[in-house]
Amino acid sequence: MTTAAGTRPLGIDPPGTVHVSHDHHELGFLRKYIFSVDHKVIGIQFLFTGLVMLLWGGLMAMAIRWQLAFPWTQMPILGKVLFPETGGVTTPEGYTMLFTMHGTLMIFFVIIPLLTGTFGNYLIPLMIGAPDMAFPRLNMLGYWFWWPGILCIIMAMGAEGGGPAAGWTAYPPLSTIEAAAPGSMSGQTWWLLAVTFVGVSSMMGAVNYVTTIVKMRAPGMTLFRMPLSIWGLLIAALLQLFALPVLTAAGFMQLFDRVFDAGLFTPTDVVINNTNPETMGQAAGGSPLLWQHLFWFYSHPAVYIMVVPAMGFVSDIIATHARKPIFGYKPMVYSMSSIAGLGFIVWGHHMFTSGMNPNVGLVFMSATIMIALPSAIKVFNWLGTLFRSRIELNSAMLFALAFVSMFIIGGLSGIWMAATPVDMYIHDTYIIVAHFHYVVFAGSVMAIFGSLHHWFPKMFGRLMNETLGKIHFFGTFIFLNGIFYMMHQLGLAGLMRRTADPYAYETYAALQPMNQFISICAFCLLGWQVFFVFNFFHSMFFGKRVGRNPWKSCSLEWQAPSPPGHGNFDHQLEVHHGPYEYAVPGAAEDYVPQTQPSPQVG
Amino acid sequence: MSRNRYLALLGAWVCGLSSACHFERATPELHYSLNEKALADGSLLEDDPAGQVHLLGALELLFGTPSQPSYMVLPEWLDDDFDPTYLGQDSFSDEAWAELVERNREVFADQIAAIQAGDLEGVTKPRYCEDLWELWLGLLDDMPEEGPDGTYYEDDDGNPVTWKEEAVATFEGYYPTLAASAELYRQQCYHCHGASGGGDGSTSQYLNPRPRDYRYGTFKFTALNNKARPRHQDLMRVLEEGIYTTAMPSFRRFSDAQLSGLADYVRLLSIRGETEILMEADYDPDEGIHFDNLRENYELVVDRWRQAPEELIVYEGEVPHATPERIARGRDLYMRDNAANCVKCHGMTGRGDGESVKNDPESSTDDWGNKIVPRDLTTGVFRFGRRPIDLYRRIYAGINGTPMPAHYGMQIVDGEGVTRSLNEDDVWDLVFYARSLSVKEREVSLAQAPHGESHGEHEE
Amino acid sequence: MAQLKHLLFRLIVTALFLAVPILGVWTFVNADQMHVWFPEAVSSFGGEIDHLFSLILWMVGITFVATEVLLVLIILRYSRRDPSRSHYTHGSHVLEMVWTAVPALLLLFILFSQMGVWSEVKIAPPHEPSDPYSRENPLMRVYASQFDWRVRYPDEEGNFEGENVVESAYDIYVPVDTKVFFDLVSRDVLHSFYVPNFRLKQDAIPGMKVPVWFEAREVGDFDLICAELCGWGHYKMAGRVHVLPQDEYTAWLEGQREALYDNGSED
Repeated sequence: MTTAAGTRPLGIDPPGTVHVSHDHHELGFLRKYIFSVDHKVIGIQFLFTGLVMLLWGGLMAMAIRWQLAFPWTQMPILGKVLFPETGGVTTPEGYTMLFTMHGTLMIFFVIIPLLTGTFGNYLIPLMIGAPDMAFPRLNMLGYWFWWPGILCIIMAMGAEGGGPAAGWTAYPPLSTIEAAAPGSMSGQTWWLLAVTFVGVSSMMGAVNYVTTIVKMRAPGMTLFRMPLSIWGLLIAALLQLFALPVLTAAGFMQLFDRVFDAGLFTPTDVVINNTNPETMGQAAGGSPLLWQHLFWFYSHPAVYIMVVPAMGFVSDIIATHARKPIFGYKPMVYSMSSIAGLGFIVWGHHMFTSGMNPNVGLVFMSATIMIALPSAIKVFNWLGTLFRSRIELNSAMLFALAFVSMFIIGGLSGIWMAATPVDMYIHDTYIIVAHFHYVVFAGSVMAIFGSLHHWFPKMFGRLMNETLGKIHFFGTFIFLNGIFYMMHQLGLAGLMRRTADPYAYETYAALQPMNQFISICAFCLLGWQVFFVFNFFHSMFFGKRVGRNPWKSCSLEWQAPSPPGHGNFDHQLEVHHGPYEYAVPGAAEDYVPQTQPSPQVG
Repeated sequence: MSRNRYLALLGAWVCGLSSACHFERATPELHYSLNEKALADGSLLEDDPAGQVHLLGALELLFGTPSQPSYMVLPEWLDDDFDPTYLGQDSFSDEAWAELVERNREVFADQIAAIQAGDLEGVTKPRYCEDLWELWLGLLDDMPEEGPDGTYYEDDDGNPVTWKEEAVATFEGYYPTLAASAELYRQQCYHCHGASGGGDGSTSQYLNPRPRDYRYGTFKFTALNNKARPRHQDLMRVLEEGIYTTAMPSFRRFSDAQLSGLADYVRLLSIRGETEILMEADYDPDEGIHFDNLRENYELVVDRWRQAPEELIVYEGEVPHATPERIARGRDLYMRDNAANCVKCHGMTGRGDGESVKNDPESSTDDWGNKIVPRDLTTGVFRFGRRPIDLYRRIYAGINGTPMPAHYGMQIVDGEGVTRSLNEDDVWDLVFYARSLSVKEREVSLAQAPHGESHGEHEE
Repeated sequence: MAQLKHLLFRLIVTALFLAVPILGVWTFVNADQMHVWFPEAVSSFGGEIDHLFSLILWMVGITFVATEVLLVLIILRYSRRDPSRSHYTHGSHVLEMVWTAVPALLLLFILFSQMGVWSEVKIAPPHEPSDPYSRENPLMRVYASQFDWRVRYPDEEGNFEGENVVESAYDIYVPVDTKVFFDLVSRDVLHSFYVPNFRLKQDAIPGMKVPVWFEAREVGDFDLICAELCGWGHYKMAGRVHVLPQDEYTAWLEGQREALYDNGSED
């Protein structure tokens, strides 16, 4: 169906809309789309770059899965690019590079930028009723600081020695001493630079988000009238503000170790690959455990940076498409905040078997087990929201429901990891891999897909195709469970992660068929994304045109034109109540926008 | 979007998937190549591409390809009942064979149990054993009609052997073919040691020391004198224990049969490489390659390997124990330049930092052209065993391919000022002095990791 | 027609979401048949750890099934096309209290149930005067290096350097039914001593001696696997723990001490 010229687009314009475009001088293409200071353009820049990175990280995952399913055979297509010198057979050092790159890309270049970069930039000013970010130029700089990071990670992958090889956790001495691993040659330095650039980029974003949310809310928009998306983004930004400096400092320490032989993480008297760092004139006397503490002090909160905004988006999607106010808005806010607060004192659960004092392990276990509580509260509140609602099963809602369903699995399996004695067995096995993929892939990525379906009309003024969206959803949901659920089983059988060829061990000999099943699911999952890519680009140009508020949603962003022009809003905003006033008894419509005063709102 | 277009997209996806399923899970075709280093080191063959192709072809006739390796068996070897493939099995004692069978029983326990239970469907394909699987499929075809308990054949004494017994024996007596070993080599060794055994696999460039280049027939660690080629047992010991503090790990997670097969294959690569080098040395730009020498060279190389076991160093008599007197004598021999003069390379304190390391680059290069350093004797790590007899052999016969010379028979001036040749007793003195250098200071530098509370009685 | 299609679609979505708990439980029930389940636990605390795992598995499993089924029922019931509006509510204080307090109690229960075993394994190993080994007097020292496991048994005086120290590559021999204390040392990078059958994992840190103990309750051979990324050869870093009856162990150690003075004729 095409929209004939002159037909009024679907959706409702709020009363009193002034249908005149703002008169502002036209910017050139470069200023408008490339070096733009408009938060919406920057958000979409993050989106496109992030999706390309997602594809790259996904291809790395496919290469890993090929090796695990059919070890030491020729990898089709990808193998010729990655390992030309062996005719497409994974090399052992190449395998370490693959999972290092997969982890680094997905965390630092996909999930965090997609959640905070894309949606943070796009939604924050719109949802709080601000014309733009507090620091638009800093915002642009934040995006452009990402690019040196991307260049560095490309350099890292192509570096001598086959790329960084110490895992995304970069534990020294493997990462700091060049002799320790081929990938610890220049690849690791590039890797550190890449992570630092991305960190600076996130930092600029975080400063901006916090300032904008605190200072630039529309009149009447109190903190407790903000949509949960904004709460999620605010909390994630605060987490980044407090935790990221630690990673940046630690990254510089590791860089000093590598470049100036500072020996901060190098213990005395180690001989690696027949090289003693001390006789090579390097300092020693450091502690490898120090890095682990510093790294996880950032990277555990980073896990929450990767899931708290997603929780917010899902709450908004659920409320809108179930046409019901969020059940327990304040408990939702408090639980997100306590996840963030507790998130700072649980890093040690990554180190239960690391040799740190076991007494400390007990403390970390207590904090970690208790962090399950706010997560549980959130799940129950989502269920409460859905109860006695009117669920519209469109693509955005399906992805949001999948997030809830998958987050239950990811949350519950976390309890095993928190329990120290059990963790002693399952630490670094595939059950951990299953757990964090359930949170980060089945959780955050599903939320990203749902959010794209939900906010696509605002971004491009067109709807994404529902049928394709649903086809995409069904395949993705089936295959991702085929992949990650089975990994729990592998983990219980004791299978270690990061093992290139496990089947020569008697313990693991029987696990190959299961791994082959998982790999085939993984290839199908990647193949299935064709539907998303097609839908995304097709809808961008040929989707059904819609007006301001196709979902009949209460929050402020839907009061702006789709897509919003420069300065976002074309009329004065005043907020009168919270963002989830659906199904208000006695109101004319089943939703009351935040800008519309209503005596019925309770 | 019409419904047909969704269907077309879905159909395209399914087609893509099914074609993806037909991707061949192929193993790459490896190729033997010529020894570039030997060519560059002055063989005129380097400038004769046609000659190189001829030589490669001739070597392929003798040794096959990486996917189908095999020796050309000479007629007199047939008369002799000698098969170069199993050079090592001549020295397979009954005991060693029984051990191998025992290990096979362990490795194939599931399969053997399934056969004995009559659950032939339950016999799963063991990994790394394609050849065994083919044998098994052949057995399945040959099953007598009266079932697995029917007579399969009669042994020499006329006793019936049932199919089941034969099947179990097939698993128990598994010994890989050269082709199967070559495949295992491709999976486990190739990335360091390279397709032709040149120590030039993709990982090799990052390793210190570099992986062994088999093609010169020189192996650092053997129990033999006079730089003999290694015996099967020497190669096996490296495979089983690894070479400590190098990137060569222990491969005991594979069965004895598989390791034995790997040793067989390494030997093939080595013999091939040596033959090649001899042929290159024979090359004459005017006359081309002397292919009439090929057979002679081939025999010469194989004979070197056949004769190796005769060179085993065994100390006749009881191995002495360390005494302060021995250590003192050893120290004297170690330090003096008119005695063993170990100090020249290994240094005053044994840390491998002697004068020669600083002054004489020759002494820090091995036969393969790689930089090496003398062993740091204080670490307590000895690459090929720390038993006294292991060190005895190192000092007695030297380390092949390195500046470490054979000391036995060397002219020295002993502690009493008498000039004589270094004898077995002197070697022992050196052994015990070297062992005494393993210092305890490294112990001290190890910090105790925190471990909560300790036992009450130890708390002050 | 449109209604029928919508019903069908709701049912498909419901089936999809319902498949998660059903297949999820099914895989756990059938994991044994699929040969993907715990390897046999043979250490003294292995059984306790498995027990704690199952305790959490039951609690988590019931919660998982209950929540997922609830979610599915809600989706099925409330995705009907219904002209009336949703129930208008902003939450319930009582409910929030309930679903904060109940999980909190369950989590506290889990928390306190874990502490004993952790303390036993890592903090205060059970010790009786009759035990031949202790932290101060370990049975052996395990050295991890790229990509090798080596174990040293001390000489009669308890020294780990000296003439009569026995060293073994790849294979580690220990006596059964004895508390085996050992120090874990790394020569180069981080490694981790992981024996799945013992439910034991401990990282080896360069420059540190980490005290570890276990008590194997069964005779047999068990895989030792490196569980911390240690470089390109990480997957090759294998070992084998051989648990022997006490007398066989003693005989083995004696044999090794004698073999130190082998004259090499057997090589």
